[in-house]
Amino acid sequence: MKPASHTQPFLQIVDVHKHFTGVYALRGVSLQFERGQIYHLLGENGCGKSTLIKIIAGAQPPDQGHLLIDGRHYDRLSALQALSAGIETVYQDLSLLPNMSVAENIGLTAELAAHHGRLARTFDRRGLAATAAIALREVGLPTDAAFQATLVEQLPLATRQLIAIARGIASEAKFVIMDEPTASLTQKEVDNLIRVLNGLRSRGVAVLFVSHKLDECYAIGGTVIILRDGQVISQGPIENYTKAQIGELMTGRELSQERYRNREPADDILLEVEALGRREQFQDVSFSLRRGEILGITGLLDSGRNELARALAGVAPADTGQVRLRDQAIRLRSPSDAILHRIGYVPEDRLNEGLFLDKPILDNVITAVIGRLRSRTGRLDRTLARRLAEQTVKDLQIATPNIDLPVQSLSGGNQQRVLIGRWLAIAPEILILHGPTVGVDVGSKDTIYRIMQRLSEQGIGILLISDDLPELLQNCDRILLMKKGRLADQFDARQITEPDLYHALLSEAA
Amino acid sequence: MNSIATTPPSVSMPQARPHLGLRARLTRHPELFTLTLLLLTCIGVGLINPRFFQLATLFDLLHSATTTGLFACGVLVVLASGGIDVSFTAIAALVMYSVTKAVFAWWPEMPFALILALGALGGTLLGLLNGIAVHTLRAPSLIVTIGTQYLYRGVLLTFVGTTFFMNIPSSMDRFGRTPLLHYQTVDGLRAVLPVSVIALAAGAALTWWLLKRTMMGRGVYAMGGSLVIAERLGYQLRALHLFVFGYAGLLAGTAGILHVANNRLANPFDLVGTELDVIAAVILGGARITGGTGTVWGTLLGVMLVTLINQVLILVGVPSTLQKVIVGIFILIAGTLFAFTRPR
Repeated sequence: MKPASHTQPFLQIVDVHKHFTGVYALRGVSLQFERGQIYHLLGENGCGKSTLIKIIAGAQPPDQGHLLIDGRHYDRLSALQALSAGIETVYQDLSLLPNMSVAENIGLTAELAAHHGRLARTFDRRGLAATAAIALREVGLPTDAAFQATLVEQLPLATRQLIAIARGIASEAKFVIMDEPTASLTQKEVDNLIRVLNGLRSRGVAVLFVSHKLDECYAIGGTVIILRDGQVISQGPIENYTKAQIGELMTGRELSQERYRNREPADDILLEVEALGRREQFQDVSFSLRRGEILGITGLLDSGRNELARALAGVAPADTGQVRLRDQAIRLRSPSDAILHRIGYVPEDRLNEGLFLDKPILDNVITAVIGRLRSRTGRLDRTLARRLAEQTVKDLQIATPNIDLPVQSLSGGNQQRVLIGRWLAIAPEILILHGPTVGVDVGSKDTIYRIMQRLSEQGIGILLISDDLPELLQNCDRILLMKKGRLADQFDARQITEPDLYHALLSEAA
Repeated sequence: MNSIATTPPSVSMPQARPHLGLRARLTRHPELFTLTLLLLTCIGVGLINPRFFQLATLFDLLHSATTTGLFACGVLVVLASGGIDVSFTAIAALVMYSVTKAVFAWWPEMPFALILALGALGGTLLGLLNGIAVHTLRAPSLIVTIGTQYLYRGVLLTFVGTTFFMNIPSSMDRFGRTPLLHYQTVDGLRAVLPVSVIALAAGAALTWWLLKRTMMGRGVYAMGGSLVIAERLGYQLRALHLFVFGYAGLLAGTAGILHVANNRLANPFDLVGTELDVIAAVILGGARITGGTGTVWGTLLGVMLVTLINQVLILVGVPSTLQKVIVGIFILIAGTLFAFTRPR
């Protein structure tokens, strides 16, 4: 099916401004989006990306400027208007209703938009199933009634992501915005997603892709739009830019691609894991971690790497095997056991598992050591607590004017540093970093890597669980590869190249 | 050797299909658990007292369940939307007492259908007031409805009356005496199934249809799943809030009028205080207190279970104080079971 007209772009944004309580988020942004094109919106956290997306999705009105959709003028959009106009936004949380079925999540939004949000009506159940089936086939998911009736909360993340895209297809979206869609997907799932996006493109749908993973942007191709401090700094075909150039444009400074790791770990063994296992999730995992070593662990999503990390943190304890810390067997049945043995765990999903978003930075930093901050009367020693939090903010270069601000006022990279800071407060011997730079921009990544190296110099053993291959190669001494719940291979990070590691990760033979 | 380029595009995602074990099935159909509890209780009681197994017991059960059942359908809608309502008994009390008193004073011959409609209208208006408050104040519905419960009850006792009366309009009295079915039991007693049971059936059917077959009903579940996401997807929260609380009010008002007709007594101190029984029934029926779930079938089973324990166990000699213990234990079992089946 041919797009209606090539003469005018599908969406134009004209001189849009937006500010929040004195701080400018967007300063005069003008952009054009053509049908059948893929755009990559790049920029550091806090550059105005999310605000721009929200304005296009109709979640927030601009202060100044306007939008043209198919030539039609809008001073502001409502969520419903944006949907009716064919703009579908897949937020990081995917905007799926967990308690409703696959078919309902895909089809009801289209129904709603088609009838301008009118609720006092019955809906066409058979039509719903048919719409859902077409959209599901399009993204390569099963179309049978049993799958359609499955509740979304019972499905894994990658499948949910595809369902969110299927919803866009069902709504006959002409413009799909994807906010960090690949942040928690494995390589294989990302490849599948890219295929689906290319399918959309060939149907004349415009896609706006927001991601921190530049490799994927290059793999997809299209136009890059680089945002900095609320302004469009540069735009053009992605092949005209090198990675380093993009990084510089985003941050306004030069970034190195070199290995951060430049020292050797000590000889003494800190942690020994022997034949560790948990249910069907992982079995017979043995390795050792030396003092000051950075040990990478990688694998696909179903490899058991996540479960291993959670077991070592005492979150989801192992049921077989043994863990020895400095030759002493230790029990890790709960997170407090781990804290007792000075094992810090920075979870992958910092929003749900790590941070108290609406609580001050101060409270978030001190929560793991609150017992130690007791004054003689048994009450919290406020002065000591503030001193600790302020020191953490300074050490980890957390960009905030005030430790009493809620954590949600910080950008992703800074939030991550608060979480790391919390564990530094327990003076850890071992730090388990689980995807420490997921959803973090280039500039913040750099800072986090430097912090990691500094910590290892202090003798802390670091387990870095990640699927970001350059991250592992730049930072680790050794990299362990997990497959189907078992350790499959081990590499020296100085010697293996990224393509080799990538190939080892994907090859089916365990 | 396989590189990504050669992977066929039709390959479906691993684990796209969840494992459908007992846990998953119980998550989808918690009412199966309710049904099991109900059957076990019936068998237990029947073993102690075989006279339990007769039609008259069922009649009694349905008779007692009418008011609770209508209330429960309203509570189900509110719970499914992610809210909670504790003011419905106060709405019912205010509506039933005021309407009965006013009709008796000004038009004692008013047809019952009209009285019922008046009750439904009054209940809806008071419910809408809840809805407006919840929506505009953006306050938790528990707080709002605790407030309106006091308000409605206070208004009733201060301005309408504090004395119960049995002089109810003649059409109400007639309706309350009309049996749908009746027969002589072996003991020579007259077992009666009152006609008001039809109202319970109608209310349940209407609730089922609204929730399952209309966009409004789907919107209720969407809102219960996530308020923020539902709004983002274009569901009109204002309309949903007004519907949810207005509908709960409508059922409460109707239930109030039926309650007076069934008991042939208008007592302003009646009903308020039984909110938790109703909410307990809905929870036992599988609705999550966190919203987004719950079925009419489950709710009806939950109502039957609670009514059975509260009203019928006394017939087999279980002291009324012990009934509370049993309800409590059941809720604890249901609560832990549903918590374990919930996906992380």
